[in-house]
Amino acid sequence: MPPIEGKTMSMLANPTFLFYQFMNSISLGMNIFIIAAGLSLILGVLRVINFAHGAFFMVGAYVCWSTVTYLDGATGSFWLGVAAAAVVLGVVAFVIERGLLHYLYGREHLTQLLFTFAIVLVVGDLAKMIWGTDQYNVPYPHGLSGAVNFGFALYPAYPLLLCAIGVVVAVGMWLVLSKTRWGRIIRAATQDREMLSALGMNVPLVYTGVFVIGSALAGLGGALAAPRVAVSPGMDATIIIECFIVVIIGGLGSLWGSFLGALALGFVTMFGTVIFPDWELVLAYVLMLGILLWRPWGLFGVSEEESH
Amino acid sequence: MKRIFETSVAGRAFGAAALSVALLSGANGAGAAEIKIGVLYPISGGGAIYGGPAMQGHDLAVDEINAAGGVLGMKFVTAARDSKLNPAAAAAAAKELITKEGVNVLLGGLASSVGLAISEVARQEGVIYIATIPKTIKLTTTKLHPYVFRTASNTDFEGDAMAQIVKKVDGKKLCDIQLDYAYGHDLGDGIAKALPKHAPNANIVIKLRPKLGATDFNAYITQIMGSGCDTVVSGLWGNHFVNFAKQAAPFGFFGNHVYITGGEIASHEVASKLAGDYPDNVWSNTYELWYHSPTDAHKKFQARLAKKADTEATAMWPVLAYNGVMLYKAAVEKAGSTDADKVSKALEGLTIDTPMGKLTMDAKSHQANTGQFWGPMKKVAGKPYRVMDPITFVPPPE
Repeated sequence: MPPIEGKTMSMLANPTFLFYQFMNSISLGMNIFIIAAGLSLILGVLRVINFAHGAFFMVGAYVCWSTVTYLDGATGSFWLGVAAAAVVLGVVAFVIERGLLHYLYGREHLTQLLFTFAIVLVVGDLAKMIWGTDQYNVPYPHGLSGAVNFGFALYPAYPLLLCAIGVVVAVGMWLVLSKTRWGRIIRAATQDREMLSALGMNVPLVYTGVFVIGSALAGLGGALAAPRVAVSPGMDATIIIECFIVVIIGGLGSLWGSFLGALALGFVTMFGTVIFPDWELVLAYVLMLGILLWRPWGLFGVSEEESH
Repeated sequence: MKRIFETSVAGRAFGAAALSVALLSGANGAGAAEIKIGVLYPISGGGAIYGGPAMQGHDLAVDEINAAGGVLGMKFVTAARDSKLNPAAAAAAAKELITKEGVNVLLGGLASSVGLAISEVARQEGVIYIATIPKTIKLTTTKLHPYVFRTASNTDFEGDAMAQIVKKVDGKKLCDIQLDYAYGHDLGDGIAKALPKHAPNANIVIKLRPKLGATDFNAYITQIMGSGCDTVVSGLWGNHFVNFAKQAAPFGFFGNHVYITGGEIASHEVASKLAGDYPDNVWSNTYELWYHSPTDAHKKFQARLAKKADTEATAMWPVLAYNGVMLYKAAVEKAGSTDADKVSKALEGLTIDTPMGKLTMDAKSHQANTGQFWGPMKKVAGKPYRVMDPITFVPPPE
């Protein structure tokens, strides 16, 4: 289906349209970043490719819906739902890590991969047993269903808030990782876990903590996404692929890499859809392939040679 | 699994009687003590929202047929498979149903791409396939073969009704946004074909084709807003519409555009789930509305379905699956056999009574004369969510 070229080009010359697309790109990027940050953290420290991250995202959205519904949509119930999603996923992750994943660290990657894939199926079926196959609607939180007037254009308030939350999560994680003792330990674990263990650190505890925090971020991301999408089975499918693209672009375990990767994905998706509508799906992968060819370790990742 | 097990036990109990009847009547597939129906609906992932209710309608029909003694003395037995929204998975499941389960007929499908895939298997294997939900026009035109029949509406019927509404709301500049797969492409064509007939002054100014399964529609929303159209024609169904509406509403989108959409956005399940977030200025369609029972047959069907589904506010999908089973039953009765060629002949021109009125299978096109309810979605005092008001039944075009 060829686009109507003249129309597209005239739209791209329209400053209001460009503003919308610019804001759309950032809000999509920040949306994905909140989720991908957790995946990246887990991948960087545990070296486990956690396919279940998308399923955790979906459960986060369901938990948020349940909270809002239980409280009958009272003011503030959405934010309680967001907190509940993070806590529930943290607990779920704790049980999975301590009870199961913990025993697989010594095994080869394939076993771990199969394990996290099994978690996807189990969590997906459990979610279906608890919430059924219906689609649910989480209304926008009170006071955020409208738009903010920028003078020359309106932009919806809720995605603007998501942008802000994305930045807060990024800066918050950066502060923790770079300024605190725990942050230093986590960073050390991404670099050399044998040395860390030799220095007497309780590495298993670090692993548990990182898996819990990373998964809580997935739950948080799911809850925050809930007002903008239908909460339903299958909502985990696309997000996990987007997260992997972001992590690969940014580099394993790199916070700012994920941040930049998510923004890049946001811009490529939003503008690609307008300029090359036929190539929409491919563009994100082209971006990833390009980065992989140029810097196989990602934008902010560390190459094997440098690290040794 | 549970269902298959239960029915196979039932099947054994009736085995002896059915077998003798089958032998006496010389029914084809001799020795078959039962009529095995392969049914494919998405029961996992994003399509489960529709597949689950469709299975309820299917089971209701099978239960009723068996309670009345079956067909030609044989009971209906269901072998259900998950068609997902994936043509490859559905084709593999359909093959397996034919070769391993030895089913006499295939029913169901949801996504148009899946319908085409099942139809191809049916053609190769010489097994009847009744498409109960897929709407792509190709199924009964360019990809038509002797074994495929459709009880669902189709993209030409839907496009024609939408063009009539464009005329009604006096739409001039149209944005056409459709999902980038068989259904969306064909509905876009159906609208474009019907516009000159019903609304010659309307022009499509931009065509947008988001991907099946897309969740973020912001790039499309801003393109529609930037293109200056007054009316949107669309076939974003289910969650696609929910996501689109939720993301578009804060822009004030629905105050500036009339939104005419196929894809059954007027169905009770979409309206009740979106509740207060269901946008203004939406015109849409549905096969059935539980709160609208124009006929006695529909009232009775609705009561039976409500009992099975354990809610009065039943979904729209069961009646489609139900009618598919009932049509096949009538065809086997008429043919006096389950032989695919005989049943195919019997289906051509066959008319049955359904909860929605008479359903006739066209002998040439293999398309049933299935119409839909169309209308604007309004807030009505006393209703917790939007309802269609007024409700207009739009029969298929001549």
